[in-house]
Amino acid sequence: MRWADGLGLLSRLVVGGVWLVAGILKLPDPAESVRAVRAYDLLPEGIVPLVGHALPVLEILVGACLVLGLLTRLTAVLSALMLAAFIVGIAQAWARHLQIDCGCFGGGGGRAPNATAAYPWDIARDVGLLLLSGWLVWRPRTPWAVDDVLLPEPA
Amino acid sequence: MATKRSRTTRRADAQKASARAAAIRQEQERKERRRRSLIVTAVAVVVLVVILAVATALRSAQDTTGVAAKTVPSGTVGRYAVPAGPASAPVKVELYEDFMCPICGELEAASRTQLQKDIDQGKVQVQYHVLNFLDRSSSTEYSSRAANALAVVLDSAGPAVAKKFHDLLFEHQPQEGSAGLSDAQLVHYAVQAGADRASVSAGIGDRRFQQWVDNVNNHASKAGVTGTPTAVVDGRTVKWTSVGDLATKLQKVIDAG
Repeated sequence: MRWADGLGLLSRLVVGGVWLVAGILKLPDPAESVRAVRAYDLLPEGIVPLVGHALPVLEILVGACLVLGLLTRLTAVLSALMLAAFIVGIAQAWARHLQIDCGCFGGGGGRAPNATAAYPWDIARDVGLLLLSGWLVWRPRTPWAVDDVLLPEPA
Repeated sequence: MATKRSRTTRRADAQKASARAAAIRQEQERKERRRRSLIVTAVAVVVLVVILAVATALRSAQDTTGVAAKTVPSGTVGRYAVPAGPASAPVKVELYEDFMCPICGELEAASRTQLQKDIDQGKVQVQYHVLNFLDRSSSTEYSSRAANALAVVLDSAGPAVAKKFHDLLFEHQPQEGSAGLSDAQLVHYAVQAGADRASVSAGIGDRRFQQWVDNVNNHASKAGVTGTPTAVVDGRTVKWTSVGDLATKLQKVIDAG
């Protein structure tokens, strides 16, 4: 099934690449990530700083694992869960008429005058990535993956 | 008891036995691979969790937001705001601005003249919260430097001079994405506003109130301010569609007293 191999590899690189970029862009300013999380007005203030500090690191780890093909199924599950959470976050911001930048690729979740126009695209992107992550959960075996070396599967 | 079996039967029996042995061997190998996979997975998961925990702790340590400022400017109102106008004024407008924010510059240009009149007549006290969330929009963290400079001027020359300095900085607002005004230029405008060169230049140069500025920004974030300009009157954020709209609404609030 060659096309399935191709789709698996492509999913890994696309989803993993997006996570890597999103995480790396957030590295320079930890305080900004905290503000971005807070702007969604969803989590209790007590855990907002922890989530803000951990999220970019988690994004980079998940991204790196997917690109390398390391623990593909596990990281694809994490990827899908994070994307689902972001979709909920953006959707509730949209529903509550919060005018914020999604902060997806850095930026402090600041006010965006065109936020309402951007929300559907943010959600569409995340749904696309969620589908690709779902494929990897279902078919974690892909070519050129560290998993193939580390975790040989019974033939 | 079959003492004599045909050669064919014996060969078949031998084949069956060796097949059974192979199956057992395969099963063992399968189990062994499974065990190895589990160990490798567990080790990888532990390594990843450790990296996550350490890196998160490092970022947390790097983020000094909210740490009590060692130096706080005197003359603030509500700890985080630079006041313009008397405390006795019937209307209080909390204004959140970033010196790098172009829309703030537009709002200032649209409202400055009338606002100064209202301040002079004691109709309003504007409480300027200067943020630094646009630090990445300049190559020199201009937002922080300008906000710190305002705090230095307030601290050494009082609110009237600080207001003039604030207005001068918006009149000469640098392009978003540029290097911003230099420290020397900040000192120049501070002196032009009426501050004493000798008493402001050191504080502007060494960013004396940087931590206080960080805390203003944090305070704003916790107050639900997600962008600039934001105006809050009586605890409520003024909703606006354009700079002209915001200026008009603020004027109405002030005129209503």
